[in-house]
Amino acid sequence: MVSRAHIDAALADVPDPELPVSIVELGMVCGVDINGDDVDVKLVPTYTGCPALPMIERDVRAKITAVQGVESCTVSWCYEPAWNPDRITEPGREKLRAHGVTTTGCCGGGQSTVELTTSALACPYCGSSDTRLDSAFGPTRCRSIYFCDGCRNQFEHIKPVTS
Amino acid sequence: MTMQDMLNDPLANIILMHADDKLMLGHIQSDWTGLAPILEEDIAASSMSQDDLSHALVLYEYLGKRFDLGTDDIAFERDAINYRCCDLITTPDEFDWAVALTKRWLVATFTALGLDRLATIDDGDLAARCKRLIPEQAIHVTHLTAWMIRLGSGTDESKARMQTAVDTLSASAGMMFEVPESLVETYCGRDELFTQWHTAIMDTLTQAGLSATITLPENSAVGGRRGVHADHFTQQQSEMTEVRRTEPAPAW
Repeated sequence: MVSRAHIDAALADVPDPELPVSIVELGMVCGVDINGDDVDVKLVPTYTGCPALPMIERDVRAKITAVQGVESCTVSWCYEPAWNPDRITEPGREKLRAHGVTTTGCCGGGQSTVELTTSALACPYCGSSDTRLDSAFGPTRCRSIYFCDGCRNQFEHIKPVTS
Repeated sequence: MTMQDMLNDPLANIILMHADDKLMLGHIQSDWTGLAPILEEDIAASSMSQDDLSHALVLYEYLGKRFDLGTDDIAFERDAINYRCCDLITTPDEFDWAVALTKRWLVATFTALGLDRLATIDDGDLAARCKRLIPEQAIHVTHLTAWMIRLGSGTDESKARMQTAVDTLSASAGMMFEVPESLVETYCGRDELFTQWHTAIMDTLTQAGLSATITLPENSAVGGRRGVHADHFTQQQSEMTEVRRTEPAPAW
């Protein structure tokens, strides 16, 4: 008998390869089905072009098949529900902030363009709101680069994508 | 289900139009990686190319599921005549940043409208996929629009170069609205889509202090979307599929 608690613990142990949080904290897990000794995990991509997705998929399979009683594991990617930064857990947000990456909830539904520049973000280092967008495209597909005029530091922000 | 079933299907042709546009755009514009004018734009251009390829993949995956085909087979194993991309995309930019930027902006604005429409089709999987792509596409449009305006209203040199790029591309931009052969009977809303796109394009050009005349081609116009491709398409397709043709099933 495969224990759900063991599966959850295994998933919580899968890190994002580029950020100091797990895929559970990022809100990427959207479904787990245990059928006897087979486990089916459904994940949502944070960004469709993220090159880390195949690595995450491999990691999930490796961690799940190592759980006691598991014979096989399938991982599939789904698009519903769509991922957005609201799915990041509170501990996940804390860890990201400590890493210099800010998050906010998604920016309201129904709009056709994503507003990247207007709302002032609080700098993760000094808390100042005197911040501005440096580049919508950051080191990974899901992050933009901001600059804080308060403490003259650059920081990153998880893009508020929603449709 | 065969490749031919997919090619005969009207909805699949609309999806292929956008997916093939993105596949070729992502391929050709990735040439700019390491060469774009400033570091931020290098990252932005590379990121957009990466997005374009992954967006094409998300759409090919949908078709693959529906027609029981491999995504790589759909992307790489068709004859040139069965690619639905328009030839505006494979027109060489000769490493002129103004041309590369203007081209991507014209296409990205069109794709954004196309994805909005596909998302309303009564098919849960397709709608969910498109809804996932729409906000990512919107970031491209916002970014590209900002650059069009910035360079159009910049120095005399930047303005002149942008106007030349717009002039070069506007002659063939209307061909994005060419109707694939299998859709001539069924495709509706083309004029509406063109009007919507044209309004958005002209609005940005006005803000940028640039101008263009872009017309909707006749329904009978024949070009890339009907598989009658220019030589530059064939060159790009040949380059893109070279590794696969050399080694059909490589393990990376």
